Amino acid sequence: MAAAVSIQGLTKKYLDVWNKAEITAVDNLNLEVNEGEIFGFLGRNGAGKTTTIKMLLGLIFPTSGSATVLGKPVGDTDAKAQISYLPEEAYFYESMTGWDCMDFYGRLFRIPEPQRSKRIQKALEDVFLDPKAWRRPLRGYSKGMRQRIGIAQALINDPKLLFLDEPTSGLDPIAHRELRDIIVNVGKQGKTVFLSSHQLPDVELVCSRVAIIHQGKLLASGTIQDLTTGDTVEISADRVSESLAGRIRGVVPAAELVGQRLHISAADPSKVNDVVDLIRGGGATLLSVKPHKRMLEDVFVDVVMNEGGA
Amino acid sequence: MKASTRRNLGLAVIPLLIATMFLQAAIDPSVREINKGQKTAFQGLSGEFVLGPLLGLQQAVAGLLWVRADEFFHSGDYDAILPIVRMVTWLDPHQLDVYITGAWHLAYNFTDSSERSDRRYIPASQRLLEEGDANNPEIYDIAFELGWQNSDKIKDFARAEYWYRKASGRHGADERGQAKAPVPMFVWHQLAHSLARLGRLEESVDVWKKALSMSEDFVKKNPTDFSRRNVRDSEVHNLELTQKRIFSRYKHELDWEVDAKVGKGVNRETGEPLSRDTYVFVTGSEVSQKAAAYAKAGLSAPAMAVGLPRPPAIEPMWNTAFDVRPVFTAPKVLEVKGRFNVGDGARVTVRLHDDTYRNAQLKEFSFDINQDQTLMLDQHSVRAGTFGRKVDMSKDPKMYSFKGDTYYLVFEFNPRATSPFIHDRFGWSGEGMTDPKYLWTDSSLQPDVRWVRKVYRITRDQVFGASIPESAVVSNEEYARMMAEPMTTK
Amino acid sequence: MVTLAIAKQTLEDMLRRKILLVLLIIAVGMIALGPSVGFLSPRESSAVLRSLGLAVILLAGLLITILSGIQVIPTEIERRTIYTVLSKPVQRYEFVLGKFLGGIFTVFVMIAAMGVVFLSVLAWQEKRFDPEMLKGVVLTFFQMTLLGALAIFFSTFATPVVNFFLSFGLFIVGNLSSVTDSLISNKNPATRIMANAVHYIIPNFGNFNLQNKLIHPSVEISNANVFIVQNIVYAVIYSAVLLLLAILVFDKREV
Ligand SMILES: Nc1ncnc2c1ncn2[C@@H]1O[C@H](COP(=O)(O)OP(=O)(O)OP(=O)(O)O)[C@@H](O)[C@H]1O
Ligand SMILES: [Mg+2]
Repeated sequence: MAAAVSIQGLTKKYLDVWNKAEITAVDNLNLEVNEGEIFGFLGRNGAGKTTTIKMLLGLIFPTSGSATVLGKPVGDTDAKAQISYLPEEAYFYESMTGWDCMDFYGRLFRIPEPQRSKRIQKALEDVFLDPKAWRRPLRGYSKGMRQRIGIAQALINDPKLLFLDEPTSGLDPIAHRELRDIIVNVGKQGKTVFLSSHQLPDVELVCSRVAIIHQGKLLASGTIQDLTTGDTVEISADRVSESLAGRIRGVVPAAELVGQRLHISAADPSKVNDVVDLIRGGGATLLSVKPHKRMLEDVFVDVVMNEGGA
Repeated sequence: MKASTRRNLGLAVIPLLIATMFLQAAIDPSVREINKGQKTAFQGLSGEFVLGPLLGLQQAVAGLLWVRADEFFHSGDYDAILPIVRMVTWLDPHQLDVYITGAWHLAYNFTDSSERSDRRYIPASQRLLEEGDANNPEIYDIAFELGWQNSDKIKDFARAEYWYRKASGRHGADERGQAKAPVPMFVWHQLAHSLARLGRLEESVDVWKKALSMSEDFVKKNPTDFSRRNVRDSEVHNLELTQKRIFSRYKHELDWEVDAKVGKGVNRETGEPLSRDTYVFVTGSEVSQKAAAYAKAGLSAPAMAVGLPRPPAIEPMWNTAFDVRPVFTAPKVLEVKGRFNVGDGARVTVRLHDDTYRNAQLKEFSFDINQDQTLMLDQHSVRAGTFGRKVDMSKDPKMYSFKGDTYYLVFEFNPRATSPFIHDRFGWSGEGMTDPKYLWTDSSLQPDVRWVRKVYRITRDQVFGASIPESAVVSNEEYARMMAEPMTTK
Repeated sequence: MVTLAIAKQTLEDMLRRKILLVLLIIAVGMIALGPSVGFLSPRESSAVLRSLGLAVILLAGLLITILSGIQVIPTEIERRTIYTVLSKPVQRYEFVLGKFLGGIFTVFVMIAAMGVVFLSVLAWQEKRFDPEMLKGVVLTFFQMTLLGALAIFFSTFATPVVNFFLSFGLFIVGNLSSVTDSLISNKNPATRIMANAVHYIIPNFGNFNLQNKLIHPSVEISNANVFIVQNIVYAVIYSAVLLLLAILVFDKREV
């Protein structure tokens, strides 16, 4: 499968003008996004997600490294014709109507009439924007409606590759779900989606592959299944003495004693028996033994915490 | 963008910039023509007006300033107007009316408590007009105003004639899009009047005729222009009047016979001899050709040509028996008592000035007059052979500071400045008058003018009340010599 | 064309701004009030009417040009609308040109509106149409075109506030062309070099001030029409230089 996005050693350093310190927003990033996949690009606030996307679109320029998009170098006009972008917290021309705004973007894509009108209509319908709002100025749109326009303008050119920077932030649960479904739909049409998000449950649901970056560095990448392998079992017990806790920690170092209660997560099933035996033998009361499926969120927290970030 | 494209675009800037430099060099001469006479002086412009010239809005700022000056005219705040006049004419040297109004204001609006104007402003007024005229050298308006001021206010008819003649060679600026409109006829009329005042009567008649022929042409082409017909009629009237005056004041009755003999004085259209009443269309130069005509007709040529005294045989010389006694009855209060044997209505000019004062011309325009200088000018009408009144200069120390030690007190009658009925008696140049004591012939202009003038040289003490003996009288020649000297400043 | 689409969007966006409408109403009001300055002599009031009319058009045009010139690009960046534009198959030079053209279209519409009112008031007042005044309005437009290109150039690297002072300052310096012209023959060599630099390198806005000739028909120049054409060519070439520089700077600009 060909790479829709291929990033080699991409680095972006910002010079903080005020305290002359250098911020490395993206640090020697290597990444491949395959054609046709919905790719989740994860990271904490300030991790460098937006910076990476802007470099891929030629809005800012890398300090070093390179990238190709749809097999062309960044900024290539032919490639751009098949790309679309929904910026994070996107703003549009407030005085334009939804339709005119779409028409303007259609012109930027050099889509001729009457095709343009048809595309606009389809895109607006695809994002479920209330047709009554089509001819109203964006000024009066709610956040959800704006976000729909944002997606619609990203669909108007029938792109091969979409960059969506946190498309679902700040939406009510229903709108949220609708937008998520739209993205899934887009994926089903065989388009590549480069999705940056904090909404890990969404990502887990929607994406086939993810990458996690932290302080500009790639910490992990792979399919969701690969990353979430290794389910855990959560054991809690009451009336655990200090000495018993010491023995249990000999088996599972991460055991936590709060008062006389003990909480343990053990990934290795063989250790579960050992711990349960210890609890029983040690005179403590076993409260629960719960199997726990490992979620993307856990992976994210683990990976980021292990890196020692604040 | 590719690096090579960027380099090529960068290189393209250079020839384009060079092209703009060449264009700039080509544009400069026109800009100079447009801005000729305009000064970019910002000093003294109040804040709200400074920005305008910086943005190239001199004309608009000048207009607004001038609108504002109008408020000061209404409130009588005359001191505030002069700087505005200066500013406006610097910003927009083509605002003719601003020069004219400013100069009028300088010459007429500064007065003492008896409404005598402050003549010390006149050189400034003249200089402002001259500057305006130099900045608008093709338009008649300011030259005309200079002519008017010189004849109406200064009574210097030679300078008036100079400026009226300049004005008559210009064109008008009144009509939009018709920049070359001919000067209005009143310019020619004033030129003719000033020539008459100078005693250059033949030339005056020539100008009336020229004006008349222009009006005739115009009326022929525009038969419905009734106002121009009126102008034409007034020109006929003036031409007649001037000719009649020439005849009545200077011509021997025999002229009629002469003219009849040499075939002059015929109606040009019908060829019929003209009656005496209509015998006016003799050209000015023809008047002087008369002398030759006399000879040709075998008559002895009498001394009757224009500009010579009336023949005593017809009317004896008129003795004006001029004399005057000035007394300062109180400090700076002058009482004039004089006699003058002319008709009622003639005016005697009384002038008191520092011995350093001259009729000097200003080189550069400036509102700053010499406040230490004293110059008083008054006109006293003659009634029943006497003239004189009280001239109180004590109330206006700003105008009459009397800082100097020596003054000239002048009483004079200039026949050229007087009214027609007195001309009837004396001729235009005083040829028919004489005075045993104070007659003085000024031959600086031709034809000569015969003045009556008595000049005292007095001291500051005398201005403050000491009596003035007759030994203080100085000769007319001495005074004339002194006034011709250049100005010295103490 | 993408450039025209951007220009059209810019024009529509500018024309929807209340500030421009307010400016236009004030300017038109002032032009219409011109004839009421009544005490002056006919010649004076004709000159005042003309100079004020041209001045109002220039001042309003100046405000509109500077306001739009310093804003069009920074607003796009500030409101982040530029992301959706530049991520599309739009070349950066097309964006700069589109924004410039949009600003200039705006200035054109405003100057044309004021010009029509001015010429009508004048024609109504004097019972005849004065084509000379049209030349003044046209030259003002080209002067503003040059100023707009200057403001666009500065806006590719300076903040709007800095840009305002740069553009306005250069407009004033460029207006002193008769001063710099006379300083070129100054005795002091340093002054001469400075004057030459200012006169030939800084865009010479003073060239366009034809008011003196337009207001006073007695002011004649040997080749008025050539002069006007020269000025238009000057404005076009110099604007092209500024736009080239703007494009070069903006090409490397991070947004
Ligand atoms: N123009 C800039 N100048 C200086 N530093 C910047 C600039 N833009 C971003 N940064 C810094 O670069 C780092 C990465 O920012 P970026 O916006 O890429 O993060 P992000 O992953 O998109 O975060 P978020 O989830 O909050 O959107 C941050 O530390 C940010 O402060
Ligand atoms: Mg971000």
